[in-house]
Amino acid sequence: MLYVIVVVVAVLIGTVLAPVVWSATQSSSGDSGDPTVSVITLRAGTDAGPVNDVKEDLREARTNDSVEAVVLRIDSPGGAVASSEEFYLAVNRTAAQMPVVAYVEGTAASGGYFGIAPADRIFVKPSSTVGSIGVIVSAPLSTVERAEAQSKTYLRTGPDKATTEKDQLREQMETLHNAFVDTIVKHRGENLSMSRSEVAHGEAYIGPTALRNGFADDMGDLNSAIDEAATLADGIEGDQYSVEYNDPVSPSGGTIVLSGDPAKVDGNIVYVDNSEEDTQFQQPYEFYAVWGVPVTEDAQEVNDESE
Amino acid sequence: MKASEVLKPLGVFAVVIAVILAGTALVGVLGGSGSAGPADGEEIEGQSPGQFEPENVLATSAPEEGELSVDEGGESKRILVDSGHSNRYSPADMDPLVEALAQAGHEVDFTPSTSDEGGFGESSYNATLRAYDAVLIVQPTASFSDAEIAGLKAYADGGGRIAVLAEPPQLSVSGGLSAQVTQVRFGAQDLAGEFGLRMGTEGLYNIEDGGNDNNYESIVARPDGSGPLTEGVSNVTFDSAGYVVRTGDGPQVRMRALSGTRTLERRQASQYPVAAQNDNFVMVADTSFLKSSELYDLDNEQFVSNLLEFLVSGDKDDDVPQGGAASGGQ
Repeated sequence: MLYVIVVVVAVLIGTVLAPVVWSATQSSSGDSGDPTVSVITLRAGTDAGPVNDVKEDLREARTNDSVEAVVLRIDSPGGAVASSEEFYLAVNRTAAQMPVVAYVEGTAASGGYFGIAPADRIFVKPSSTVGSIGVIVSAPLSTVERAEAQSKTYLRTGPDKATTEKDQLREQMETLHNAFVDTIVKHRGENLSMSRSEVAHGEAYIGPTALRNGFADDMGDLNSAIDEAATLADGIEGDQYSVEYNDPVSPSGGTIVLSGDPAKVDGNIVYVDNSEEDTQFQQPYEFYAVWGVPVTEDAQEVNDESE
Repeated sequence: MKASEVLKPLGVFAVVIAVILAGTALVGVLGGSGSAGPADGEEIEGQSPGQFEPENVLATSAPEEGELSVDEGGESKRILVDSGHSNRYSPADMDPLVEALAQAGHEVDFTPSTSDEGGFGESSYNATLRAYDAVLIVQPTASFSDAEIAGLKAYADGGGRIAVLAEPPQLSVSGGLSAQVTQVRFGAQDLAGEFGLRMGTEGLYNIEDGGNDNNYESIVARPDGSGPLTEGVSNVTFDSAGYVVRTGDGPQVRMRALSGTRTLERRQASQYPVAAQNDNFVMVADTSFLKSSELYDLDNEQFVSNLLEFLVSGDKDDDVPQGGAASGGQ
């Protein structure tokens, strides 16, 4: 009789303590319990800094077992092609692992749209702007047009060292454009009601147009996107999930100031004037996937040259 | 109470609790975290999407092969390059043409840009023309006077060859501290109109795969029919092409843009005529193919060779055009 009492008491105490031990083992593996929809916010250009912050958030979502889906809240006009590609690769990897739903808070254009292309669904508002698929480059005159004169001021080991040819510049730009357009066609092709070359025109679309042409899937707000992400997630049943908001990534500004004033436009290359006196080495050109126009000091007035 | 009477139940009590807690911990560790792996140890694998593969994305420029050549052995001709009408071209871009002509024994002169220098002035325009077998006019932005037009018409009627290279309306940015953006327009519509041609109001683009040379504005054009002007040419590329419009029955279209080519503003698709000929008068709606970066692209060098051949193969009488004063052309 005594043993029965002892065992019953022991089982009761054990049952009380068991959840403590259980949660101890669970928290040691970084799992907080409830299945979670992680909201990651990018309110910045897709330049190196912001993109790396978003990549960290995405990696955290992928490695955290309780995160079952990601909502990417975005307001980005794009940025350098290099970091826009990084953004895309990180989202693409995440989307291979769990549902990713994008919500276009303001703009997801050019590099910004590059990044959300792998999303399972894209939510927009009437005022959201998406699209603008394309690449721009601006090169200082010295790197292309005056390359020959410039190259006389230093010794080089070969004829192509430290020079850029117009054909080469365009070849590279077209190659990056191909990678960009083909990415959009690959991920959105089934939804798009337009041809590859229409995508390549680089037009930006607002919400309702985007729904028609397939650049977006649904009209809605952040909560619609969270709801959709939870529905798509295997590990979430009904409304049994929590929502985790990551700190929004939003640095200084969204404008891109190119390295100088446009000095000369030759066909499709914009040369900028780089009138710094002292010699310094600088990257000759950088490719941008942006929605917008280069910001230079003065707006130019177009003069009508007539006789 | 004996000690064993207390210890035994106590022992059972401890063992039962230990078993329950150990079991819970075991289940927790095995079941709960088994799929998580190391805390931040995401499996690293290469990520190289198919659409990024070189064979898919690499754009290649048109091969730059071939030479400019003008048949040697013909009669030596004199060619005048017009520079008196605010023509927009770089003298360096003319060098390969001058070289090819010189190699074949022809002579090339440039008109001075001011009209009052000896011999080439407006007052003696017809006299100047009489001394030459052909005139090359590249992107004039100033218009030709009625007398000049009359002189050139008589010149072409009498066997003199005229080639006009034009550009569509476009913006030009000039450098300097106060950079200015200017709209540049082809200035010789009246001259072209005299030969039943007119420069179109817009530039062209083609964004289809294979329809351009690495930029939507670098369109590709093909011969329309066969003739000396397009002999040996199957594709040319124009960097800033416009189109020509026929305003009379005389001109024949010699070259057309590929289908899928559109106008920059209206986005109207058509196989736009980009080169046309009216007997001794040829008009091409682009000048960029003279640039060193374009001259040898695709069959551009063959087209330019044919154009030079056209200039030197005329047969003009020495007294054409007649007259000498500004009003003498009529």
